Amino acid sequence: MADVAENLSEDLPPARRTARRDRWLGLASFAAMLAFWFAITGSGLWPPLVQPAFLPSPVTVAKTFMRLAATGYQGHTLLHHFLISLMRFGVAFAICVAIGVPVGLLMGMHTGVRAVLDPPIETTRPIPKLALLPLFIIWFGIGELSKTIVIIAALFPLISISAMQAVRAVSIRKIQAAQSLGASRSTIFRRVLLPASLPGIFTGLRVSVGIGVTMLVGAEMVATSDGIAWMALTAADFVQTDIVLVGVLIMAALGYGLDQIFRVLERRIVHWAGRD
Amino acid sequence: MAIEPVALDAAPRRASAKLLIDGVSKRFGAGADAVQALKPIDIAIGAGEFLTIVGPSGCGKSTLLNIVAGFETPTTGRALLDGKTITGPGRERGVVFQQGALFTWMSVQDNIAFGPRALGKSVAESRDIAARYIELVGLTAFGKRYPYELSGGMQQRVGIARALANEPEVLLMDEPFAALDQQTRELLQEEIRAIWRRTAKTILWITHSIEEALFLATHVVVMTARPGRIKAAFACGFSREADPLIATTAEFAEAKRTIVGLLRQESLEAQRQETAA
Repeated sequence: MADVAENLSEDLPPARRTARRDRWLGLASFAAMLAFWFAITGSGLWPPLVQPAFLPSPVTVAKTFMRLAATGYQGHTLLHHFLISLMRFGVAFAICVAIGVPVGLLMGMHTGVRAVLDPPIETTRPIPKLALLPLFIIWFGIGELSKTIVIIAALFPLISISAMQAVRAVSIRKIQAAQSLGASRSTIFRRVLLPASLPGIFTGLRVSVGIGVTMLVGAEMVATSDGIAWMALTAADFVQTDIVLVGVLIMAALGYGLDQIFRVLERRIVHWAGRD
Repeated sequence: MAIEPVALDAAPRRASAKLLIDGVSKRFGAGADAVQALKPIDIAIGAGEFLTIVGPSGCGKSTLLNIVAGFETPTTGRALLDGKTITGPGRERGVVFQQGALFTWMSVQDNIAFGPRALGKSVAESRDIAARYIELVGLTAFGKRYPYELSGGMQQRVGIARALANEPEVLLMDEPFAALDQQTRELLQEEIRAIWRRTAKTILWITHSIEEALFLATHVVVMTARPGRIKAAFACGFSREADPLIATTAEFAEAKRTIVGLLRQESLEAQRQETAA
């Protein structure tokens, strides 16, 4: 019996073999999707099963991407569209982190602050922020400000509430341990509460990266003439499906790339998370 | 008989107490929902004594330790250290918790250096102190590791070293070995005994384990089911013995029998309360 088990388990420990298998399964699933897209659009090898106007082939999309990268779209380079979208997201995200995290931490530490700030955050949280965009445009004009604010409106509650919950979840024992070691309130905040909350804060940041990229679509829906989401939306008006897909894929890559960056940061900075 | 009944609150003991629990009681909540956790308790602990408290689950023994640590305030009475009323946590009372109290984001070395740093010592000095205590608990090779990379027993060693690094006068231990397996626990008990002998700290130790109490302590207190009060107290000589196998002697077994007998009724009562609630 023991021999059979040993023969089955080759050289790698089971967990690593499972991980390797799952990586291959993931790649295979992705490849299958791509192959399906190739197949139904013909890709120049056979007649397309779907009208190219509805779904252009991956080859067309790649060619369109190269063309846009070379000549730009509607007076701006593709890089400009990409960077302006990244900037809109980046500014909104940075403001949310700079203000939302401290506010959330304060809410987690002081019941008074929580009592004051919880109602406005909680009552406005369920409102779809895109629905507020027309109002923001009336209030803040058609410039960058209203676009930044609509993204902030979506991300701020997420980031502040996750920071608040992170602080409140810090084990009382760790705080008591620090108190017994003679730590002052500021030391406890700096060296216990803040680091202990970081994993929860990171979770909030990663969720809001995804949502922030999605919010770009709304932010660039009106009153603008650049940005990746604007490019896709405008191209859709002219049924330039290939350009729409280029825009969508660039946004997907942006979201994925940012998420990967945050994953790496998370592994580096809060490597101890969840391993109490 | 290796254990002898003793009055822990006798006048001479009170007069020379390092740590005095003076009529401390605790009630949680108010009105009809109030729970009396502790009835008034008097215990005097002399300098260098090692006092363990055993009692059934929910008898309030951890509450008593929390009051001495300054994490909770007593409803009546007070706890005193060297005659001064305890009003909050302080560095002269080091606390070791059962588990989950290490700073998971810091290396072993930084965990242990936390106390000295908090007291305003320089980084270099704190690191030297940490190195000394890391050696004391036998973790020299693990200073740069993180708590999650260590076994449960090693984590408790870190907790003990961290508490000792501030050179507290009193150590308060809340079931520090409860989550460890039997073998690890026995080895750590021997080490704690050695550390206690070497440093002559005053120790208040909460435990579920009667054997642990008898093996370690100069005094053993047996508490009743909730509301907790002192059911019996004994002076106990096993911790002075050099023999690591003292727990296998007939004398030890007899002492254990005495305490098991006392505790059994209380555990049954505690169980009855639990199922009634």
